[in-house]
Amino acid sequence: MSTTKATPAPVSTGEDYPVRITGFWSGRSELIVPALVFTLAGFLTYGTATMEVMGKSVPGPQFFPTIVCVLLYLMAGIHTIQILRTRRFPQADSEGHNPDFSSDMLGDLGDTEGKSIYGAASTPTSAGKRRAYSDWKTMGMVIGAVAGFILALPVLGWVLSAAGLFWVACRALGSKRPLFDLSISILFSSLIQLAFNAGLGLNLPSGFLEGLI
Amino acid sequence: MDSLSLLMEGFAAALTPMNLLWVVIGAILGTAVGVLPGLGSAMAVALLLPITFSLDPTAAFIMFAGVYFGGLFGDSTSGILLNTPGNSSAIASTFEGHRMALDGRAAKALATAAMGAFIGGLIATTVVVFFAPVLVKMATAFGPAEYFALAVFAFLAISSVVSDSVVKGLLSLGLGLVLALVGVDGPSGTERYTLGLPQLFDGMSIVVITVGLLALGEVLHIASRIHRDETAVRVESKGRPRLDLSDIRRAMPAWLRGTAFGVPFGVIPAGGSEVPTFMAYGLEKKLAARNGDTDFGTTGSIRGVAAPEAAANATAGTAMGALLALGLPTSATAAIMLAAFQQYGMQPGPLLFERSGPMVWTLLASLFIGLVILLVLNMQFAVLWAKLLLIPRHYLYAGITVLSVLGVYAISSSIVDLWILLAIGLLGFLMRRYKFPLAPVLIAVILGPLAETELRRALTVSEGDLSILVGSPVTLVLYGLLAIALAVTGIQHLRHSKAARSQAPKLDNDRIGV
Repeated sequence: MSTTKATPAPVSTGEDYPVRITGFWSGRSELIVPALVFTLAGFLTYGTATMEVMGKSVPGPQFFPTIVCVLLYLMAGIHTIQILRTRRFPQADSEGHNPDFSSDMLGDLGDTEGKSIYGAASTPTSAGKRRAYSDWKTMGMVIGAVAGFILALPVLGWVLSAAGLFWVACRALGSKRPLFDLSISILFSSLIQLAFNAGLGLNLPSGFLEGLI
Repeated sequence: MDSLSLLMEGFAAALTPMNLLWVVIGAILGTAVGVLPGLGSAMAVALLLPITFSLDPTAAFIMFAGVYFGGLFGDSTSGILLNTPGNSSAIASTFEGHRMALDGRAAKALATAAMGAFIGGLIATTVVVFFAPVLVKMATAFGPAEYFALAVFAFLAISSVVSDSVVKGLLSLGLGLVLALVGVDGPSGTERYTLGLPQLFDGMSIVVITVGLLALGEVLHIASRIHRDETAVRVESKGRPRLDLSDIRRAMPAWLRGTAFGVPFGVIPAGGSEVPTFMAYGLEKKLAARNGDTDFGTTGSIRGVAAPEAAANATAGTAMGALLALGLPTSATAAIMLAAFQQYGMQPGPLLFERSGPMVWTLLASLFIGLVILLVLNMQFAVLWAKLLLIPRHYLYAGITVLSVLGVYAISSSIVDLWILLAIGLLGFLMRRYKFPLAPVLIAVILGPLAETELRRALTVSEGDLSILVGSPVTLVLYGLLAIALAVTGIQHLRHSKAARSQAPKLDNDRIGV
């Protein structure tokens, strides 16, 4: 056993992210979450109030949703205040951070002497190139591919629409070999169609190719 | 012993060629998703769920159990070689494991991890075999109030006690509860929040929710970062992982100590193996400091790898016990397995042992078989598994996208479900972007209906008297423990935020902002 490339690296070598405060929304884009939650809670409140209750059991079907509503309003309210009071910036090293677990608690349990088990948060500056944290172009392509797949599935059938989805997703995620990808896409979607129809007896739509394959 | 004879019957049923094949497939898939950072056993089980509908339940669960354990075997491989843990359950073993790899002992670290995972899983599964009947006996005495208390315990433990932020955890929990509310209310027949869409009368499919959150959400998250983050440097590992006698003598106490941390945590809904792995790592670190062990923190200590790995798999073992005997999912993967049982029309808990006894014992027997297979797969072929990391990420995630839409379409051939999948995938992306925990959503979606039904049942019996909820010793103990855990977490959060505030220069909002 031997090692090459013995470079000590942090958990992941994410680039240091330039963060710039340019206006109200800098570090406050997270407000979209409480906004969504308030909308959802509003819908829930409306649905609960206008519910056509069947049966006379007490407590009825509106009891539990009311508790959930209160929880949502309360937490979304506190969350809004928290974001307004302190701007939040993404961590330089986002990969590997699992919010399911408190890093403070894990740090205490693992006795890491106050060192963060993940990378540190970016410190905001007022200089640096302005660049969105999320790569909206790549994401938009993947979302568009999925939406396109859903629209195309009944018309084009599984093989073609799934191959299209795979191909566009590959391109979006950085593949540089369009022709090679095309063959992989068609192979992959055809194999699934074969396995499903022959092996598991489930029918995937064949679209306008009906009868041909 | 009664358990032993039942287990032997289970072995007889599990050792058929078909069932062995499912164990092997599960173990291979599990190790693969474990090795690959970003993919986990929860996502793998969610994607497999619709595809396994045409299998018989025993085969499906044997495979899922292989995936669950396999994920915990594989996750340390990428941690050791790449310093990027395959899952957060391997963060603790990565600290010392990667140091060992840099020191030229990568193969030894991989072997220690695989052996630790095997020992932890083996002891925990043995414990389950003998204690599951005891748990079952205990659970038969549970009434609605006790089940409600258990659900509340799981909700708050996972969303508040262990998660990074209490507010975000509770918001995630609330979102999950809302998703679970959609559909026709069972006890009264009332339509709730369906927007009049007949496709929603049965509620949102758990497959759609889990695949959307865990698979499509992850793909979108990767898409938003793939051109921004750099990839880690890989340490080459040559030679076959082998431990000599002196290594085993050094690692053995750590394996056993790690297992001791993991076993109790499988039954506590603390979200899986992260907490016990860090406790095990912390203890080894303290012991190393006391014994003057200079490996630890410098060239990498074998014990620092051994203990957390054993803890992780011990947790998975007893988590299976809690799932089968109590119907209580203690981690995200266990929650999805519970959903799988429900899809097959079975409810884990005391009744499962009565009604589907042979299946349960076959499953337990196949856990032992799975562990042996995983040990061989991971000891002999660890270097081969690391080759998986060479698969270009675009093919991997494009494949996951296609498998997500395939799985969702396969359950009911419904286009509406596919749109819901896309919406939930976007929700999953938002939650990842703003660091919201996902486990509370899954636990809420799966335990929410149970919590509501038991709460209403309890209150109907007591005619609205709330004191029934705390009317028995079991409920008092559960709420008491929960209160203590919440208080401890509260103090911890306060202490850390105070420390952070005194260290970091304060950001003046009013001056910099406009």
